[in-house]
Amino acid sequence: MSTESEHLESIVNRRYEHGFVTDIETESLPPGLDEGVIRAISARKREPEWMLEWRLQAYRQWLEMTEPEWAHVHYKKIDYNAISYFAAPKSDDDRPKSLDEVDPKLLETYDKLGIPLHERARLAGVAVDAVFDSVSVATTFKEKLSEAGVIFCSFSEAVENHPELVKKYLGSVVPRRDNFFAALNSAVFSDGSFVYIPKGVRCPMELSTYFRINAANTGQFERTLIVADEGSHVSYLEGCTAPMRDENQLHAAVVELVAMEGAEIKYSTVQNWYPGDEEGRGGIYNFVTKRGDCRGANSKISWTQVETGSAITWKYPSCILRGDNSVGEFYSVAVANNLQQADTGTKMIHIGRNTSSTIVSKGISAGRAQNAYRGLVRVMPQASGARNHTQCDSLLIGKECGAHTFPYMEIKNPTAKVEHEATTSKISADQLFYCRQRGISEEDAVNMIVNGFCKEVFNELPMEFAVEAQALLNVSLEGAVG
Amino acid sequence: MSGAVSKIELAASFPTLRDEDWKYTDLSRPIAIAQQWLDSGSNEQPPDADLIDSIKAAADAAWIVIANGELLEASSTGLQEAGIEVSLLSSDEPAIDVPLANLNTQFRTGGIRIRVIEDRLDQRPIGLLVIDSAAGAPVMSQARVDIELDERAAARFIEYHVSSGDDEHYSNSLIRLNLAADASVEYLRFQDRALHHSQTARLNVRLERGSRLTHGGIDLGGRLSRNDLKIDIAGPDAVATFNGLYVAGTGQHIDNHTRVDHRVGPAVSDQEYRGILSGRSRAVWNGKAIVHRGADGTDAQQANHNLLLSERSEIDAKPELEIYADEVKCAHGTTVGQLDERALFYLRCRGLDESRAKRVLTRAFAATIVERAPIAELHELIGERVEQRLRELGDAS
Repeated sequence: MSTESEHLESIVNRRYEHGFVTDIETESLPPGLDEGVIRAISARKREPEWMLEWRLQAYRQWLEMTEPEWAHVHYKKIDYNAISYFAAPKSDDDRPKSLDEVDPKLLETYDKLGIPLHERARLAGVAVDAVFDSVSVATTFKEKLSEAGVIFCSFSEAVENHPELVKKYLGSVVPRRDNFFAALNSAVFSDGSFVYIPKGVRCPMELSTYFRINAANTGQFERTLIVADEGSHVSYLEGCTAPMRDENQLHAAVVELVAMEGAEIKYSTVQNWYPGDEEGRGGIYNFVTKRGDCRGANSKISWTQVETGSAITWKYPSCILRGDNSVGEFYSVAVANNLQQADTGTKMIHIGRNTSSTIVSKGISAGRAQNAYRGLVRVMPQASGARNHTQCDSLLIGKECGAHTFPYMEIKNPTAKVEHEATTSKISADQLFYCRQRGISEEDAVNMIVNGFCKEVFNELPMEFAVEAQALLNVSLEGAVG
Repeated sequence: MSGAVSKIELAASFPTLRDEDWKYTDLSRPIAIAQQWLDSGSNEQPPDADLIDSIKAAADAAWIVIANGELLEASSTGLQEAGIEVSLLSSDEPAIDVPLANLNTQFRTGGIRIRVIEDRLDQRPIGLLVIDSAAGAPVMSQARVDIELDERAAARFIEYHVSSGDDEHYSNSLIRLNLAADASVEYLRFQDRALHHSQTARLNVRLERGSRLTHGGIDLGGRLSRNDLKIDIAGPDAVATFNGLYVAGTGQHIDNHTRVDHRVGPAVSDQEYRGILSGRSRAVWNGKAIVHRGADGTDAQQANHNLLLSERSEIDAKPELEIYADEVKCAHGTTVGQLDERALFYLRCRGLDESRAKRVLTRAFAATIVERAPIAELHELIGERVEQRLRELGDAS
């Protein structure tokens, strides 16, 4: 028992590896939110009138909405007027055209994070659209992508260069007034990524973006829109780390995916925002709306996430299975440690015929953390032949943490076949004893058991991400014994 | 009783669809009945004596008849039963602060207290016959029973809900069941109401050290039926087993909410609910197990299986776990679907036609719960009623 508490202490005392602040002058708006701020953001990004109007409408709708309280999380009320809604690296006016032109201090940041952008991008064949604070500063492999006809650019560029596409799809999956945080994002979103895969194109490489929060008191509001036209295929990777901060930082992103007939989108996330210190001070509030629309027949959207960071996670990547025979998948590992709180899960809305969905959720709670799975499977009356399987497992490490399951099933069609199973367990003394007898150290044994517990999800990650995720998990649960 | 309560105040004491626990169950019909009842005054009708007699004849029990919320002494046969004490409940009993329990406290006119002193498991069960009847205008009534079991006392209970009369009725019952250390209860709730009656029923159970509850709930009738079963495990080594069956046809809405609070361990809770839905019907099942900090050694199991037999039936299921301790074993499983095609094929290979094969499998699906129901001598009666209800629904669809 005493080794257990020692080990737990070592988790509790673990410091955030990526905690530092890059000292770059940023040009921020003063804290506060009103129509003037939105006009200022829009003006600074030289947006067309329609974009400004869209933002203002979202803002007006947001004013009428109230912050949701149903999630199993507790935090001090956010003062939305104490947040600065825009921060951009100073060199916004003449953005670098290639990596050589990128501010060396930024590159240094990536080095500290262990992401040698240029090398890694070349070696792994990954195009990286890095968001530093709010404005994209480096984009690579653009030419190769444009040869294939793929559009992969920052959201601002898309508004400028592809307004017809943005107008057509923006808000079509997550409407402005979908929920409180989505409305806020729609009003003030700073930047993000835009991807368009034309008909019949298989994206020649995996797309990846690194998000980072760097300025104090700055909420970051990305907006990602991925459109996969008929018969196309794309795999998108998103990963993030954030410097150490004492104030809570608000992160309210919106991700919209559109899959047309026969298209497939695979969206993978490794989320490692700053979780706050041992006492729960600081840490990111991660209130994210992610939704995919399987608009065409035979389309497929697959979400894979490894969530280890953030003080509070409020995130439900969802699939609207509109097209006949469309497929939705959700694979998730959520780790909550210290005083972290996670309320995450998915929604699968079956509308088309013969649609199927799979949910695999693995929650790991340690320290004094609370980890909740919240999911909805809804089969509409017209969705004949719908199929869902949900598996939802929790692993508890320590006596003071919590693991919760809130699965909603709303079935309105008799031909639906829906199954849900959930289990809760801990790493048993027997399992550890067995491993130790065979010469495996306690720490390795725990890592092995935890990795085994998460294997189904890691298998879904692109290779280089899987390696990163596994390492992240080992660090997160170093020495933990249940 | 009702005092100067206005219709608006009355409506405000009901939960709404905005309340998480009532998300799928719309109480506007019961509210309308309650408001009309408030307007028109007393329209309670003496219940159908033949119906009471036929139930008493069919099931041998020490019957305590509660008609429109009040003790009907003349029909009750269980008031002088050995090993128990029956008295009227005083008006200052402790409140249970949830919306409909408050409604019951506010409007109840009767109330019964039952104390079980000794082990009477091998004697006839104690029957609570909750019968409501309205004529001329809708009626709302509040049945209220407090049951206490002394240490090592044991008893069997039937809570039987029926209705008579042509007008709409809304019944809101509140029953508390406290088991002292090592006490034991077998409890069967059987709801066989008329289809123009609505009811909300709450059973709050408290289990002390080593006590044991076996509960079965069968819902066949009612336009709207909502059951709240709340079990508080307050002592170690307590065991709660509860199963339920709901069968709904066109126009019916049956909602079962269960909640187990594992406050200490080791203790066991195990539940399985099954539903058969046909016609335009809707059922809700919400099972919640909360394992509180320190409740090590908890074993909480939940299962819910649903058969949807028609195009327009709907099930909303939600198995919830909230776990704050790590030495626990918790699992839940939920399924929704149709009859197993392979099982159907098997039966058809053996010469049963399709409708016959379906009937056999549907009945087998229901029989699992009926067979597990407490109070074995009532299995036949309940099995027959379930069969009759399934036949009615089969004929209709």
